[in-house]
Amino acid sequence: IFNNRNPRNTAVEMDPVEYTLRKRLPRKLPKRRNDVYVNMKTDFRAQLARCQKLLEGGGHREICVHGLGLAINRAINIALQLQASSQGALQLAANTSTVELVDDLEPEDPDEAGEPMTRTRNNSAIHIKVFYPDPQ
Amino acid sequence: MSAAKVKMREKKMRNQPPSVQYPFGELSVEGRPHNPADGLASGGGVADGPSDSHPATERLKSSHYRSGWVRGHQRDGGNYAKELPKCISAGGFARARAAEVNAMLKAVSKTTGSCHVFGALPKHMRRRAMSHNTKRLPRRLRDVANRMREKSLQAGSKKKKEQAKSKSRKARRRHGNLLLEFNRRQRKNVWLETHIWHAKRFHMVKKWGYCLGDRPTYKCYRPCYRAMSTHCLLQDLSYYCCIELQGEEDKLLAALSQLTSKEAGPTFAAALCLSGQRQGSVVVYRAGCYPSQPLGSVTFLWRPSTQGSTHRQLWIWAHPTIKQDLLPELQSVCQCCEAVVPPVVPLVIPAESTPIPEPGESPEDKPMPRTKRKQNCKDAGGPPAKKILGDGTRSLTTPVTWRSSSTGIVINDLTMEIVRYRLIGPQSHSVLAETLEAATDCDEVNKSQPSTLWWPEHCKDESKMKLHQLQADIFHILKGIYSTGELPSGTVLGLAVDDPRLTLPTKKVKALPHVQQIQEEEEEKRRELMLRGVPQHCCQSFLWEKSVRDNATDNKISEQDLNRMRSEVLVPGSRLSPTPLQGRVPILLIHQPGKQLGHEMRSWGAGWDLLLPKGWGMAFWVPLVYRGVHIGGLNMSLKHAQNKGTPHFPHDYPDCPAGIRFQEEQEIDLLVKFKRRPPAKRTNYIKHGCLAPFRCPWQQLAEEWELITREGGKERKSATETQTTSNANAVMEEESTSQLDNAVMKPLSHFTVLRDRKSLKLLSGWCRPTTSKGQRLCRARETPPLDSAAMMSFLTKCSMSVVWVRLSLLSKGKPELHAMVCVPFTEDLKLLSNKSDSSCPREPPHRNHFKSRMKRRKKSSKKAAPSSSDKGEGSDLSAPNPNCITSAEDPKSSSESSTDLVVGLWPDPLPSITSHCSRVTLGWVTQGDFFLSAGCGEALGFVSVTGLIHTLLNQPKEHRGIFLLRNPTSLHYRFAKINIEV
Repeated sequence: IFNNRNPRNTAVEMDPVEYTLRKRLPRKLPKRRNDVYVNMKTDFRAQLARCQKLLEGGGHREICVHGLGLAINRAINIALQLQASSQGALQLAANTSTVELVDDLEPEDPDEAGEPMTRTRNNSAIHIKVFYPDPQ
Repeated sequence: MSAAKVKMREKKMRNQPPSVQYPFGELSVEGRPHNPADGLASGGGVADGPSDSHPATERLKSSHYRSGWVRGHQRDGGNYAKELPKCISAGGFARARAAEVNAMLKAVSKTTGSCHVFGALPKHMRRRAMSHNTKRLPRRLRDVANRMREKSLQAGSKKKKEQAKSKSRKARRRHGNLLLEFNRRQRKNVWLETHIWHAKRFHMVKKWGYCLGDRPTYKCYRPCYRAMSTHCLLQDLSYYCCIELQGEEDKLLAALSQLTSKEAGPTFAAALCLSGQRQGSVVVYRAGCYPSQPLGSVTFLWRPSTQGSTHRQLWIWAHPTIKQDLLPELQSVCQCCEAVVPPVVPLVIPAESTPIPEPGESPEDKPMPRTKRKQNCKDAGGPPAKKILGDGTRSLTTPVTWRSSSTGIVINDLTMEIVRYRLIGPQSHSVLAETLEAATDCDEVNKSQPSTLWWPEHCKDESKMKLHQLQADIFHILKGIYSTGELPSGTVLGLAVDDPRLTLPTKKVKALPHVQQIQEEEEEKRRELMLRGVPQHCCQSFLWEKSVRDNATDNKISEQDLNRMRSEVLVPGSRLSPTPLQGRVPILLIHQPGKQLGHEMRSWGAGWDLLLPKGWGMAFWVPLVYRGVHIGGLNMSLKHAQNKGTPHFPHDYPDCPAGIRFQEEQEIDLLVKFKRRPPAKRTNYIKHGCLAPFRCPWQQLAEEWELITREGGKERKSATETQTTSNANAVMEEESTSQLDNAVMKPLSHFTVLRDRKSLKLLSGWCRPTTSKGQRLCRARETPPLDSAAMMSFLTKCSMSVVWVRLSLLSKGKPELHAMVCVPFTEDLKLLSNKSDSSCPREPPHRNHFKSRMKRRKKSSKKAAPSSSDKGEGSDLSAPNPNCITSAEDPKSSSESSTDLVVGLWPDPLPSITSHCSRVTLGWVTQGDFFLSAGCGEALGFVSVTGLIHTLLNQPKEHRGIFLLRNPTSLHYRFAKINIEV
């Protein structure tokens, strides 16, 4: 569900002709019902509607909106939209983290020339808790 | 005369003496002088005279002469006076009358079969259920009725006896008899070990010498897809053939390198695969023939080498349809032509010392299964286990081992020796982790004693136990992983596990991952596993050794014994402890990479393959099913490949012998299905402008495009450089006319499928790769700009080839099998800008030139029908099948296509394929559907490389890679984005 992008500054110098880059999926963690992983593929409105449904119809007091890499912007956007549409009833609490991603580099000439390499790179992620504050 | 009447008459005439006809007695005599032969010959037969009971005299006149038999009393007929014989011989007359009287008496005295006794009673004396209770009859008839009743009862019982020749159900279901029956039924198509389980739940098909489950009988298309994308789908792939190669590493590699090419991707010698850490997959070609004559794709697995030894073992897993091509090829490259006779196996590995069972026992097997069973009983000393006889791809008597004296390579055919299950889905590792448990150590007492079982022997060896411990640790880490796709693709893990039947849950439970906060140390291990995969020494498994495999197979605890042991447990339902010594199985786990092509849905459909020694199939199958997996059949394998975007064997290998065979079979199937419809209800493919709805003439396509380029090249030299699509189209029209002599001029080579990775990458870049629906451009590596110079240099390399592409529809629509990929006009591309679905180009309906010919044919067949009396009306009604019409009215057309002129299908010599429709055809779809993973209609198929590049070159940059797709049954074109995924 995450959307990961290629960082501009590659740690390992590689020749694009020699290797094929295959990105592995980011490590997933078990998902609760009120977790929303934001991606760049699904329509923005659909994702916003999903969050609203969880908060209003789903009966959750709080939801977590997660975004990775390029999707951080969108996650923030969704959270802010939710807050704006609730007329200030919702509060936000944002956390950032770093996620380790794994890439496979497959050599084009697979015999003797090069071993397939694996490299890790880091990408930023945001986790925004959107919640109704306690009445007191 | 109607059939019923004939029957009645026949019944009446049954007891007539042969020379006499019952109603026409007088006439027979009278008629004799005129036509004596007639009278004599037509003994008891039905005369062909008129059957009406009151015939008009006029008719009689005419018919009288012909037949000589007339019914009725015709004394007063004036005409007959003349025909009356002048004299009657008294003897003859009396004899005839005597015969008649006799016949009459016989007819009166004998009741016919259907006549009941009470038939003689007047209606008012008949009673209900008279035939059942004879007391309801008047007494004078009772005796006769009783007799008849007895007779009928006897007859009934006799009939029953004949039916009940087979034994009672109880006898038939007795274990031994059932096994015999099963063995008989799988003589032609072999069953997998899970056959009976599947046969209860699946539509079974007989394919490739096996009985395989095609799709479940219950509705589960979407649940199966969901299982593949969120949980786990299980398949039995044991029908795949395993070929084992043993020998020195360098010699093996030298031999195998002839079959593959580095250009098409990693080969057998790829470093990681060679170490045994990864499973590889290659497309195999005939020796030294790359890029032509491919055989098909296989996967292979090297056994990790033991220290210092160069002797290697390699398993090649191939689809049963290529085995017949692959095995001779392997034998020739390895120079292994000597078949090894089992009793004198001088093999290097001691594991081979036990004789290979199949060929040895085949003589007893074949003729009489009964004797074989008895023998088995003697041998095993117990009830015989389910016997697997040979396999579907070879006969019992053929050898399974070949060795070479020059290279020392040994080829072993291990088909059906190893069970292979495939688990697809992100949770497949949790299913495995829950089902399997690393084999428990055996206690000291057992260790000290010598044992015939393999596991106690292994327990004595310290190094082996250490290895087992390491493997078990890695297997334990698997539980802490959330998704199967996180692991490096193709990882191999060897293991020995406990019998999974011992931990069978009482209820079906859904296996879920147990991801919790794990310790620092564990976390480190997990990271290591994700980055590097399983270390080399842990890929070792004892499944590689034949002796261990056989030992495990032979000593499997039978279900019966296991149940007995369970019933003897003190606390019912608790686990058996200690674990019986026989319950250890060597297995091999192979990670299957998921979707690797393209930019989205990465590692979708990743999973694990589970390899087991034979005989253990059901013991693992049921526990796996109890972990809440879905089961898929052949149908789901196809869908899995489709969603992954990979060609599926043998459907999508049109240049391989197996693929060609498959296409021929498919064509016949589709044609039969098509012909089953009445002609008026068939799709008229001629009107739809679809030349070959049931097959794809790839060769013709490649040839035509080749000619077009040649022609186009000439044109470009002579005329200006401007060449729009419509221009090209015009060229093509002209082309199709001169095509024939061109083809004669220069013979063209056989078409190939482009598999060269560098070319594919180049082509992929030129197609302007986007996300599936074409919304977003994907970042691609820099490719040299597409111009005519680049095109020419590219085409010199790979002319006459087709390329595997993925097409995603931009709007609605669901592509079907053999849909056409066409080139849009520039005007069509303008339609693309307004977003409504209805704005798709349409193909003008074609004229059916064959209609008139068809009609003529039908007419002529009708004319021909009355002359041949036996055909009559029936054949006329079924005339749509033109195969039976063999009129010679139109010699030209009948010689041309009389044999396969089917309503709605273009007859055989096809005209130019590319220019047949208004839009130029580029290729066809081999798999099309609504893809649940993409959420839109997608299609996979091949297009001509030449045509593709030409079109791309002429398309404006923003619309590059937009093509049209049209189903064979539709006139609507749909826009689709082409993507070549490397």
